[in-house]
Amino acid sequence: MSVLDRKLLREVRGSRWLLLAIISIVGVGVMMFVYMRSAYFNLSRARDQYYVQGRMADFWIDVKKVPVSDLKAVAELPGVSEIRSRIQFMATVDLEDVAEPLNGLVLSLPDRQQPVINDIVLRQGGYFSDRRAEEVIVNDTFARKHHIHPGDWINLVLNNRRQELYVVGTAISCEYVYLVSAGVFVPDPEHFGVFYLKHSYAEEVFDMSGAASQIVGILAPEVREHPQALLDQAERVLEPYGVLNKFARRDQPSNRFLSDEIHGIGTFATILPIMFLAVAALVLNVFISRLVEQQRTVIGTLKAIGYGDRALLTHYLKYGLAVGLCGGLAGWLGGYLMANWVTSMYKNFFEFPDLNNIVYPGTYIAALGISLLCALIGSLRGARLAIRLQPAEAMRARPPGVAGAVFLERIGWFWRRLSFGWRMVLRLVIRNRLRTAVGIFAAAMGAGLLVCAFMLSSAMQFLMHFQYDLVNRADVDLSLRDDHSGLALAEARQLPAVDAAEPLLAVGGTFWHGPYQRKGAITGLSQNAKLTIPRDTAGDPLSVPPLGLMISHKLADLLHAQVGDTITFRPSRGLQQWLEVPVTKIADEYIGLSTYADIDYLSHLLGEEFAVSGVQLKTNPKPTEQAALNAELKRLPAVQAVNRREDVIHNLKANYIDVQKIFITILVLFAGVIFFGSILNAALIGLAERRREAATLLVLGYSRWQVGGLFLRESMLVTLCGTLCGLPLGYLLTWSISLAYDTEMFRFPLVLSAGTLANTVGLAVLFGLLAHLGVQRSIHKLDWLDALNVKE
Amino acid sequence: MTIPSADLTTDPPQHGVLMRLRHVNRTFQMGEVAVVALADFTLDVYRGELLVLLGPSGSGKTTILNIMGGLDHPTSGEVWYGDEDLAKATPKQLTRYRRESVGFVFQFYNLVPTLTARENVMVATELSREPISVEESLGLVGLGERLDHFPAQLSGGEQQRVAIARALAKNPELLLCDEPTGALDFETGKRALRLLVDVTRKLGKTVLVITHNTAIAEVADRVVHLRSGNMVSLEVNATPKPPEEILW
Ligand SMILES: Nc1ncnc2c1ncn2[C@@H]1O[C@H](COP(=O)(O)OP(=O)(O)OP(=O)(O)O)[C@@H](O)[C@H]1O
Ligand SMILES: [Mg+2]
Repeated sequence: MSVLDRKLLREVRGSRWLLLAIISIVGVGVMMFVYMRSAYFNLSRARDQYYVQGRMADFWIDVKKVPVSDLKAVAELPGVSEIRSRIQFMATVDLEDVAEPLNGLVLSLPDRQQPVINDIVLRQGGYFSDRRAEEVIVNDTFARKHHIHPGDWINLVLNNRRQELYVVGTAISCEYVYLVSAGVFVPDPEHFGVFYLKHSYAEEVFDMSGAASQIVGILAPEVREHPQALLDQAERVLEPYGVLNKFARRDQPSNRFLSDEIHGIGTFATILPIMFLAVAALVLNVFISRLVEQQRTVIGTLKAIGYGDRALLTHYLKYGLAVGLCGGLAGWLGGYLMANWVTSMYKNFFEFPDLNNIVYPGTYIAALGISLLCALIGSLRGARLAIRLQPAEAMRARPPGVAGAVFLERIGWFWRRLSFGWRMVLRLVIRNRLRTAVGIFAAAMGAGLLVCAFMLSSAMQFLMHFQYDLVNRADVDLSLRDDHSGLALAEARQLPAVDAAEPLLAVGGTFWHGPYQRKGAITGLSQNAKLTIPRDTAGDPLSVPPLGLMISHKLADLLHAQVGDTITFRPSRGLQQWLEVPVTKIADEYIGLSTYADIDYLSHLLGEEFAVSGVQLKTNPKPTEQAALNAELKRLPAVQAVNRREDVIHNLKANYIDVQKIFITILVLFAGVIFFGSILNAALIGLAERRREAATLLVLGYSRWQVGGLFLRESMLVTLCGTLCGLPLGYLLTWSISLAYDTEMFRFPLVLSAGTLANTVGLAVLFGLLAHLGVQRSIHKLDWLDALNVKE
Repeated sequence: MTIPSADLTTDPPQHGVLMRLRHVNRTFQMGEVAVVALADFTLDVYRGELLVLLGPSGSGKTTILNIMGGLDHPTSGEVWYGDEDLAKATPKQLTRYRRESVGFVFQFYNLVPTLTARENVMVATELSREPISVEESLGLVGLGERLDHFPAQLSGGEQQRVAIARALAKNPELLLCDEPTGALDFETGKRALRLLVDVTRKLGKTVLVITHNTAIAEVADRVVHLRSGNMVSLEVNATPKPPEEILW
């Protein structure tokens, strides 16, 4: 090893705490890069493999009932490679040890196993046997949650009849990687499952012999990217059979959630590491520049001895490279572990046959390359200062610093009021412009990250509160199998535990306005509805107009419609007539393309006196009352799905909010690394430069805490300035995230609460104080006699 | 005996000339004012002589040394080392010149604080094509033992000896010493001087010593007197005193 490398090693060891602070920032950046990219590849790889393995469909078309023989026309459409028809229905699941009725989706599969489109992957047991007709394969997670095993019997209400079914196996499917029931955003495997029946049996129980209620298909590669025209064509072909819904793979809920997640993490995998590495490069820049300044004489001497520019440049770049290398390796390790953990977290949301954390050599190498590059950029300025130093100049006594007054001193009335300590701190902060700027930048990044983390968490809580406290206030939501008359409402009022019941009429269909069209639904509410209260984004109640539609901004934009325009609505069930309806109100909303109308008005539009598709209940929470209600609901054939507010909220909390809390804690810790690293770096450098000054103050009788206080003031001033800059930055960051998630299903609320601001500033101060402990430790260890004797 | 400098330069050198400085000027621009650090300086430096530059603070001693050592360019004039004019040399050429031909000894030794005595010498030997071994050069300065001590663990005299060993280790023709005894006490200073005298007499090197201490000038072969950037006189010392006999 060359003697300069020995010098390097010793000095690196000597300033290890300082370097560790920088290394940790680099390390976190690399770690984020590695784990997010790994998670990204793990998910997309698992998805792609699974879709091939399970022959994932390219499109889905739901119909009321179509004879299989008439599907030839669809299969022969140019661009369609293959189709499969199946029977699909909703069912109620009645488990003995579960009081409430659970929701199920029933799908038919061929009696004999064959590689069909949207095939299943068996996890336990086997495929259907020839022994009996009434066999069922249960969604694996649902089965595990309820301890259902092959060989068990379970009860499903199929087509209004209670059926006992023999469980032959459990399975998962590429179609339901993210298993959500309609209108819910988070999987709830405890209350919702998929059940596969033999096709012959399904034909029999649903009166569908020779018919199907859903067509899934695979498209030729050339139409796969733009399937809309073909889907429209297929819809026209199937027109006589009542097309209820149609969507391409892009809009299939499971695929959509999965792909959004993959896309999101892919975006974060770039933004967040860049933030960290930028801070690291700047902090490193301060460090190396300071090092070079400190080693002026050594550099001059080395030059005098005959070391050339290249040797000195590499020597000082090596400091940066050492930081980049250590940070990179630490980031590898952290990234690998984090990727493992995150991938296992994903298993709670996504069901894959195998989702594993894999080491992607390209990612790891790129991560190290990026960290070395960032370290190199960070040390370049300092290293160039070293070569630009003229040797004769370097060895002269250092020119006394520009001791001129800073601009603030000219504001006499202000300056005169300051204590000597504040004057000193202000002069230093203003004179060390670069260091101050870097400190502010780092604190701004850290604060931005904190604001973003807190805002994401507030957004989720706000949405929960908004949706389940303000808008939907029912304890139980019943969806009915078909539209019913007002009698259903009257019956619901008779159910046990029910304090109040309100009708709801949801009509799915397509909106048309000029050349624009969009699938959606209209929700009919009664004028005095108390259990569903539409609200605008400010939380104020919106009254449903007695005539016409109230549509969301998002839908209005998509349809290019304004108040006063007349749009066309074509319901996908019933008579499917074309309805001309005026838009009477446009409202801001968070979830879905919600459209509201008066329930009487909507019923009349559909040509009925009064129609109901769901009932909302306010219930008595007494356990005995609830048990009676559950028992009754399990028995009601007209009930298609039951959603209890309590379950929904519990599931959201357990599966989503809690996971989110962990992620937010991690983000806070990462932000802490930025604060801590940058503050410690700046303060230790400041201390190294002003050892003599600190020693003089000690000699004059200041206590070590008082001397530390001067340094604390300086770093707090910088940190707080940076934090203030970081507040709007965090808002912007969250805003850009909200744009990425601004889909048709969901609008991301930007909630900037006083709590967020207070927490951010509080944490910034806390991190500042923690970093100061490190500085205070150095001050306590300062040997003042030694410090006074240093030659500078 | 005092001989005007202009005459001397025309005199044929006895041992051959190592360096010729001709009409060397160095001015520093400090904003509006130009500081003349060196004015029309002309001198021949002979091989194997011990030359002392004597002058008060600010008289331009370090400026000459920097120019002769290839650390600084003159504003005008010529600085010949063999057939190479350092005044016109590129930074690369100067680096090579410093690496191969010059050794520096500084008033404050300028050792690298994070390297041991041995390693501080290695800093020079690693660069040189035909170095004296580290042990040998440290032996030459009488520092055979404390090789693995860091500068902070050495006394000033010991540090200066390491600095001289470092300058010698490259085996250069020319040794440039800027106030080598300035930070040393009387006795230690004399010992360092003895070392430099031996380097001249025994190793045949050319040694230039800067000082503002007239007593030290007594050990020199020739003494250049400087004042305000001008050579006032050049004194040839027929019988240099051994360092042990001088007093200051
Ligand atoms: N880099 C520089 N910039 C401006 N002025 C300079 C510079 N270097 C030297 N000078 C000026 O040139 C003059 C000669 O300086 P020099 O360092 O050669 O003096 P010196 O004889 O070595 O003095 P000392 O005994 O104090 O070391 C001084 O007036 C000094 O201020
Ligand atoms: Mg000098």
